[in-house]
Amino acid sequence: MQGQQLSPVSRDRLICQMPKCYTAESCLQYKTHFDAQVKSACQQRHAGNFGLKMSKVVMVGDLYVGKTSLINRFCKNAFDRDYKATIGVDFEIERFEILGIPYNLQIWDTAGQEKFKCIASAYYRGAQVIITAFDLSDIQTLEHTKHWLQDALKENEPDTCSVFLVGTKKDTLSEAECERTERDALKFAVEMKAEYWSVSAKTGENVKDFFFRVASLAFEQSMKKELEKNGHSATQIGAGNLIQLEGNPSETKENDVQHNMNCC
Amino acid sequence: MEIEQEDLSPETAFEKDPFGITVEDVYDMSHVIGKDLMKISKETRGATEHVADLQFKIVRVLEILETLVNQSSLSAEEVKMERDNLKAEVERLTKESPSADQTDLGPDKMVIDLRDPNRPRFTLQELREVLQERNKLKVQLLVAQDELQCYKSGIIPPTEDHIVTLENESIITTSPRPNGGSKEKSTIGRLFSPFKQEKQEQ
Repeated sequence: MQGQQLSPVSRDRLICQMPKCYTAESCLQYKTHFDAQVKSACQQRHAGNFGLKMSKVVMVGDLYVGKTSLINRFCKNAFDRDYKATIGVDFEIERFEILGIPYNLQIWDTAGQEKFKCIASAYYRGAQVIITAFDLSDIQTLEHTKHWLQDALKENEPDTCSVFLVGTKKDTLSEAECERTERDALKFAVEMKAEYWSVSAKTGENVKDFFFRVASLAFEQSMKKELEKNGHSATQIGAGNLIQLEGNPSETKENDVQHNMNCC
Repeated sequence: MEIEQEDLSPETAFEKDPFGITVEDVYDMSHVIGKDLMKISKETRGATEHVADLQFKIVRVLEILETLVNQSSLSAEEVKMERDNLKAEVERLTKESPSADQTDLGPDKMVIDLRDPNRPRFTLQELREVLQERNKLKVQLLVAQDELQCYKSGIIPPTEDHIVTLENESIITTSPRPNGGSKEKSTIGRLFSPFKQEKQEQ
């Protein structure tokens, strides 16, 4: 028994359905289900041969947009209204079980202050997910997200990172104001090839949904990579699909044919 | 300076440097000369007319001297005022812009006040090392917490020899890498293996 699992994954970190995106206007993929090959591989417990399942997430963005607060709300379900600047970097490890497979997110929280950039940027390497955060009530912080993304992408191999654009402090805006800012933000998201989310760490609105989405897409992506590398399922499921990555709506129909897995 | 002169004898006015003479000195001189002339006219009764003539000329010379001294002391005053104004201006400028005395440091340099208890004094490398150390300890804490959880929930029997050894590998080497021998590893090992290679007693 020790060979597989020691301390069990918390019950509220079990994912068996692909979580929905925030808005179809800017999302990394439209599919409502996990990739069929990934699902099938998980069911057959081929996953045991895939090696470690851990993805690195890096959170970047201007100071005081609430990067640390967002992570603390998700990982510790806590919110501290006092501002404390992050020194250099910090990290959290969040454990999930996705499609029955233990899976972990290593979430790196970076300092937004310019003076720490040289330290924090050393931690951008090997990121599978880049989250660029901005304050919904401060349009300048949105404009800076492009620079943050550029800096983070520079440290990584091209086309290896999934990008998310997150507007924070949703609770400080009225519905109308939020919609107005979201319209601007969506333009940025499309240009950055990022999936867009509006959240509030204070109220917790969309925070869990957002990180579940991050975890699920990162999990699916790394499973696909592993399958591709090992060539495991090539004989069982057509090899033609192995190279395909998410973001292709035409894939949807094909996947929907596959049986749905109930694990919860 | 001028006020002090009143205490001195009027005769000292004659001993002064010609360029330092003030109007008061000129008045002292006229006072002394006047007294001398009176003495002469008393003693030499027959020469009063000559003395009066000389007295007129001396008064005239003293008047000329008075005018000249007056003018030069005025311009001296002006120059002094100008000097004081400039001094004040220099003081104000040096106070307002502390960068004034950094001109030879170059644009990318900074001056540190050594008396400031909150002055920067640690290097970037030191901060990097502290952060790495902190990250390493945090990983160890998470491992320990997880292991404790296992004992608490009875997943690991207390008698079982189950030691997780950590090695001091840099925390930055976090790029996901495939791990061949994962079958033998516990979840704890798998959970943190991107941070460091772990050994487990079998």
